[in-house]
Amino acid sequence: MNLIIQTLADGLVLGGIYALAAVGFSLIFGVLHVINLSHGILVLLGAYLALILSTTLRIDPLLTMPAVMAVLFVVGYAYQRLLIQRAVDRSPLGSMLLTFGVALMLQNTMIWVFSPDMKSITPGYALASFKLGAISFDAVRVSCLLASLVMLCCLAALLKFSALGRVIRATAQQTLAARLCGVNVRHVYALTFAVSAAFAGASGIVIGIILPFSPADEGTWTLNAFVVVVLGGVGSPAGALIGGLLLGIVSTLTAQYIGPSFPNVTMFLLLVLLLLVRPQGLLGNAFAPSR
Amino acid sequence: MTQKPAAFVAIILGCAVVLALAPLILPPFYVRVGQLMLYSAGLAVAWTILGGFAGYASFGHAAFIGVGAFAAGLVEERLTGLPPALLLPIGMLVGGLACAILSAAVAYPILRLRGTFFAIAMLGVCHVCAELNNNIDVLQGSLGLNFPAVAPAAWDPAVFFYELYLAAGVVVFLIAWQIQRSRFGAGLLSIREDEDTARMLGVPTERYKRIAFVASAVLTGLLGVIYAHSLGYITTDSVYRDDTNLSLIVYSLLGGMGTLFGPVIGAFMLVFITQVVLARLLDFHLFATGLLLVLLVLAAPGGVLGLVKSWKLRRRAAATAPAE
Repeated sequence: MNLIIQTLADGLVLGGIYALAAVGFSLIFGVLHVINLSHGILVLLGAYLALILSTTLRIDPLLTMPAVMAVLFVVGYAYQRLLIQRAVDRSPLGSMLLTFGVALMLQNTMIWVFSPDMKSITPGYALASFKLGAISFDAVRVSCLLASLVMLCCLAALLKFSALGRVIRATAQQTLAARLCGVNVRHVYALTFAVSAAFAGASGIVIGIILPFSPADEGTWTLNAFVVVVLGGVGSPAGALIGGLLLGIVSTLTAQYIGPSFPNVTMFLLLVLLLLVRPQGLLGNAFAPSR
Repeated sequence: MTQKPAAFVAIILGCAVVLALAPLILPPFYVRVGQLMLYSAGLAVAWTILGGFAGYASFGHAAFIGVGAFAAGLVEERLTGLPPALLLPIGMLVGGLACAILSAAVAYPILRLRGTFFAIAMLGVCHVCAELNNNIDVLQGSLGLNFPAVAPAAWDPAVFFYELYLAAGVVVFLIAWQIQRSRFGAGLLSIREDEDTARMLGVPTERYKRIAFVASAVLTGLLGVIYAHSLGYITTDSVYRDDTNLSLIVYSLLGGMGTLFGPVIGAFMLVFITQVVLARLLDFHLFATGLLLVLLVLAAPGGVLGLVKSWKLRRRAAATAPAE
């Protein structure tokens, strides 16, 4: 009994991180209708930046978050304006391949710069843990889960209450109508991309603390983000949270009870099952653009 | 070209004969490059039956290479007593059949998705097949499979497989050509242009998509069986390759998406660039492929054939302008 509760708790922690890693992907897809296959690269970029900052400045890795997010915000804005914008109105396959090309180039660059070896970020409290009843929690994992949830709430509030959020939501709903009302759509696209990149970077820090990472991991994080978005629904932090928690629980349960070598199989079967039963995602409308 | 089928077939067969004689004068390295070119071109044309004609761009066709190769290898391993000349046809039959069953089974859920969702879901299919193949011991994915030497003793194996790829490539090409000029091909084209309208006008879109998917998968699987024999020994990693998944899209993109000759031109060009021009820059491969992809999407979304077409249009416009 304890084992299953422990597994579920681990799954929730992992799921919170999946959700944070996927929310940027979801936002870009909801607003720009672009599948950003370089999303995993942005996540890793955040992890590497945090690794460099926290080791050179000797501060807690979670404290590097504002700096990392600021850097990735700028990178994301420039990336969208210079490259994605040129392909955004073409076929969806075009923009997808463009981001894939960028992902390949950046992955190669990362291998040159950071070496292909596994790296990890180790905060000072890496080995601390506490018990709640019979369930044990690592201090690291709990702080990372809290950071993820706080960030997701921040994004939800940003989208719901701020002027920028209102403009982003308007553009996602009806690009033409938003343009007619005086919204500078290119600027909004770039800002959306920048916000997504910043959140990808933030999730990179959390991932770097919990799991080892290497440049070859970018595909995994992109694929995870895709699955989370399909499960939860496009464009909302709540959808990403639901999808992420579901994915986290399913992957820890299969690792515990079926075997650690089948992560993709269960993930994919879950996906197919959901497509057959509820093609629009658990929340929202995952497949409107696909139909 | 399409008006005179007999002339078209004659031209294709003529090209094939010229290519078939090429190994007599080519140095061994270029015979290997030629092998890879013909194999890639065959795969690219098989991919384009679904991805180009019907617009369902698959990102996971390496699944069928792997399933075909492993199905053939596992059966051939149990038939070691038979003469090698019989093993290859049996292997191709088994591999093709396995791909047909797999593709027919996944077609129902997968083909409900469109566009990028379909592409990524196919990537998922490929990863799942690779993972199952790798982790179920009977399938020997992580251990590896040996293939019998099927080349006749009198032939250099490299030349034998070159000719085999050529023959398979020509067959795949002619099948794709027949599909393109048939009523079925017109149906696929209408699905690519506007699936909902096509369905409304009475095109049996579901059935057409499924047939195209299975045909594309089986042809890919057959090429995968030949590929496995030419390697002699395969593991999961050597057939379920993500760079194959990507390359199949890039071939069509480079040559011209949705055309018949585009994938062939694209495959020949890309294999030449990566194998001959960039042969010494292994560290640079990922970067170069990525750069090529970015430049293609931004500068030439219609591929080489698209560039030729727009150049022709411009020349015609320039030629007619002074007359007016």
